[in-house]
Amino acid sequence: MDPLAFALNPADYGIPTRDELVAYRIWDTHFHGFNATSDPLGQFHANNLYVRRMGIERSITLEAGGTLRAPLEPAALDAEVRALLVKERAWLSGITPIDPGFPDESCAKMEAWIRRGPCIGIKYVGGNSRGIPCSHPNNDPIIRLAAELGATIYIHTWLKVGGTPRGPGRGNLPGESTPQDVVALARRFPDVRFICGHSGGDWELGVRVVRAQPNVLLEFAGSDPHSGAVDFAARELGADRLVWGGHGPSRSYATELAKVLESDLSHADRLKVFGGNFRRLAAPILRRQGIPFEL
Amino acid sequence: MNTASLPRRRFLCQTAAVGAAAALARAGAPGAPPAPDPASPPGIVDTHVTLFRWPFRRLKYDATPALVAKLRRHRITEAWAGTHEALLHKDLAGANERLAAECRTHGEGLLRPFGSVNLAWPDWEEDLRRCHEEHRMPGVRLFPGYQTFDLSHPDLGRLIQLTAARGLILQIVFQMEDPRVHHPLLSLPVVDARPLVPLLERTPAARVQLLHFAGNVAGTDLRALVDRTGAWFEFSRWEGNGRLGQLIRPAPGGARPSVPAARVLFGSHAPYFPVETGLLRLFESPLDAETLHGLMHRNARRLLPA
Repeated sequence: MDPLAFALNPADYGIPTRDELVAYRIWDTHFHGFNATSDPLGQFHANNLYVRRMGIERSITLEAGGTLRAPLEPAALDAEVRALLVKERAWLSGITPIDPGFPDESCAKMEAWIRRGPCIGIKYVGGNSRGIPCSHPNNDPIIRLAAELGATIYIHTWLKVGGTPRGPGRGNLPGESTPQDVVALARRFPDVRFICGHSGGDWELGVRVVRAQPNVLLEFAGSDPHSGAVDFAARELGADRLVWGGHGPSRSYATELAKVLESDLSHADRLKVFGGNFRRLAAPILRRQGIPFEL
Repeated sequence: MNTASLPRRRFLCQTAAVGAAAALARAGAPGAPPAPDPASPPGIVDTHVTLFRWPFRRLKYDATPALVAKLRRHRITEAWAGTHEALLHKDLAGANERLAAECRTHGEGLLRPFGSVNLAWPDWEEDLRRCHEEHRMPGVRLFPGYQTFDLSHPDLGRLIQLTAARGLILQIVFQMEDPRVHHPLLSLPVVDARPLVPLLERTPAARVQLLHFAGNVAGTDLRALVDRTGAWFEFSRWEGNGRLGQLIRPAPGGARPSVPAARVLFGSHAPYFPVETGLLRLFESPLDAETLHGLMHRNARRLLPA
């Protein structure tokens, strides 16, 4: 059996065929390619079946250098990952995680992995040892350097319900940013664009938080697929501010693709969300890094 | 244009069938997916949809006619429908009556009602009797947590015996939404599946299906349910790239799969989830046609004949 072939025709079930998925030009801006504790490379290679099967054009891993658990500590596979980002540049890119608890070290890592390396952006992970969210002044030198490099800036956000009294965001980890933190940072850097990750965790609230801040884009991977969520985000923010991510392999491409395919977005807007918006955002650094792409 | 990008795109295009432009014109028209060809493969039995209003927001397809039309567009020919009213209402007799009427009025032959009983409310046995004898429902659905009991409730064993004696299917929903986005007023416990195992061992004739269930992190509860009971499953909570195929296909070396494919049914969790999620899950894993037919309709037909 051809591992890329579908045994039945998806069109008979009202969903895209593989060639239709390919034609969407899907860029996965939220790829946990190497986020495994035991065998990150094995996980990466195993997941490639699904990357190809679902017609993903480019995967952008969030674990380029270090790990999400310890962004600033060199990981055992850093050299291999770096080599892969060069060798597979036709379809694989990387952004490197940083830690605002350590701004100098974060900037040094950006110099190594972006200015002198293959990466195209930075990621704020979901919490850090010093409890520093992205709104803290520590972040200003990081953002200034990112702007100089033209790096994309992805910020994990959530509004986990919890605490006493219970409320959205009160269940967050120390240093885990909220969409409110992203807006506070974005106000200080109105000429820089930020990606607010996971649609703020709770899309009904996250969209409201970022709505009035035009330099904040919204990415909505890594949460359950809620019917109507993308329609709501597009209505409130406009399709030009939405960015797609797959969050695999821990999330299913089925989950993330369905969010857009179920929406009432026009075909043109789907193309923007699936990849066009991110390509426009990242075009300067993609060119600077010599990464092949079509806008 | 940077022509160096062509190899990857060419690869993707060459491995896909031709005709993308025409197909895109179809797929890109929101609200108007292509009408299924009558000569195409058989329809799907969706074992997990829920009618009426989700208590915490309007859902895109929470009006039954819209949901039925949506399901039909995706070749879903039968859907087992519970009611969101069962989550919080006390008058479940009324909720079940409305569910039965809604399926008759708007189901267009597609919806099969699964009412509910709440073990925490008095005289739940009468609700069960009415579901079976008055509404002719093929089964009932429980919502532990929302219905303020868990699976260690002392009446659960009797409910399992009664449903088995009546020939009813018992569906148990393990989660409705991610607890991280619950309304702050909700504080629901995680539903522990383990008490179910000995109860089902004692009632082997019971037909019990677990909805939106993935098992605990270690997989021990899923393992016990597979090995020691005849429970059935649907896959709306089986998250991760290729997860469906990984759970039902033999592992490299021929090791038995975690869950026998013959005990897995299609479940969309619509209208809370997009129907497309479950459909895409079928195609994400490289499954052969025989397996797909089992997941789509044959397994469901064995559990509940037409």
